[in-house]
Amino acid sequence: MEPSAPNSIDLRGRRILVVDDDRLNVRILSNILKSEGYIIADANSGERALEVYDSFNPDLLLLDVVMPGINGFETCREVKKRYGDKAAPIIFITAKSESEDVVEGLSAGGVDYLPKPFDGKEALARIKTHLQIRLLMEQQKSLVEQLSNANAAKNKFLGMAAHDLRNPLASIRGLAEFLREGVGGPLSQDQLDLINTIHDASQSMLVMVNELLDVATIESGELKIHGENRNLSDLIEKCVFLGNIEAGKKGSHIEFHAEDRHVVMYFDGAKIKQVIDNLLSNALKFSPPSSTIKVSLTRFDKGWSVSVIDNGPGIPENERDKLFKDFSRLSVRPTSGEKSTGLGLAICRKIVEAHHGHITATNIPSGGCEFKISIPSN
Amino acid sequence: MSFNGKVLLVDDEPHIRKFMSLLLAQLGSPTVLEAANGSDAIEVYKRETPDLVLLDVNMPIMDGIGALKGIMAVDPDAIIIMLTSQSSRNLISQAAEIGASNYIRKDTPKDEILKSLRETIEACFE
Repeated sequence: MEPSAPNSIDLRGRRILVVDDDRLNVRILSNILKSEGYIIADANSGERALEVYDSFNPDLLLLDVVMPGINGFETCREVKKRYGDKAAPIIFITAKSESEDVVEGLSAGGVDYLPKPFDGKEALARIKTHLQIRLLMEQQKSLVEQLSNANAAKNKFLGMAAHDLRNPLASIRGLAEFLREGVGGPLSQDQLDLINTIHDASQSMLVMVNELLDVATIESGELKIHGENRNLSDLIEKCVFLGNIEAGKKGSHIEFHAEDRHVVMYFDGAKIKQVIDNLLSNALKFSPPSSTIKVSLTRFDKGWSVSVIDNGPGIPENERDKLFKDFSRLSVRPTSGEKSTGLGLAICRKIVEAHHGHITATNIPSGGCEFKISIPSN
Repeated sequence: MSFNGKVLLVDDEPHIRKFMSLLLAQLGSPTVLEAANGSDAIEVYKRETPDLVLLDVNMPIMDGIGALKGIMAVDPDAIIIMLTSQSSRNLISQAAEIGASNYIRKDTPKDEILKSLRETIEACFE
């Protein structure tokens, strides 16, 4: 399908059904239309038109209003009823061009009308316009279909590629850990540095691959929540404990304060852990070394909120709407050259929303930013 | 705890077998046998009757679910831990129904894999 300007759209071969009980009118119209390269069928009544419609499958109907049997408006309503959105556009041919008739025709589902006796050039111009609109709508529909197929194929490919990359990466990371622990013999400081680099690079690549896989899963509509009743405060505690190992490398520390230590709720533990890990990792990434990250669990009217407050530069006001979108990295950079795909928060948002909750980010006037997820209890 | 039993390690990817055998060595001094597909795994199982099987799910020739069924048919008391790469719950529960004792996701950090291996071994052998 070549994109082209509307004026140059080739309409030859488009199909027009002419419906009029006046033989002469049909002949005049048919001759004008055939000379433009249209394919024509005709019918001398509304009933006949409905029969011909099925086999001829027109792109446009020219429909006389006053005919024996069902009139043009009723025929129009019947076509709309039978074919719905797929019905061909209908132009009424009417001697009665009084405004109330036109209004009835248009409200019956017609797109336009031609007053009789008609001017050939005017008729052709109007017909052409409606055929063009029809064709463009068909093309648009087919383009949307093609794009959504292409997007599904992209997601499938992304998912497969990410999936196959994951195991080798996990092995590289694991084998580097064995080397680092001296399984292959004692190491010099230089060797240890190299191995640490291999380990860290494979670790951050694994995180990126996992995020790509998550996006592919979410986009293909396969994000499923496997909920169970769990203690949310215990889960946060675990995340904070592991987060503090990472924090220690930057001389930072994560504090956790819970309003209640026995908050049992229905949620997907692995997915909510992923969200909290992501918020903690962001808080560490964007805070200067030797920061204190504050995590708290508080009640709100419908459930519980987890808040993570960092010491970072906050979110620039003009970039706020980019924050929770796919691949949106902000101008603020991590403080120790850490990597990010820009997918983490988009994934968090989708996981939290799948739990019927919401995620917010608020700059704190005294410095830093608060990320908060709120999840309803039921 | 020191585990000195015979382990059959089944995975089509050599790097996973390398990684898992290093992990197993941390549990004691096990004898590690290897197979690269489900069909070989059943043959080795019949010949060697190992104490423990680590069984990958996605493999050519015969996959892990097929091998799991084959081994359970030979020895209903076999202790088999599935090695998964996707957290597909259907597959995990399917394997559990057939008789797998546990599952391990291969992309989890090695200390977590070790912990999970130790727990299964303690539960099954002590």
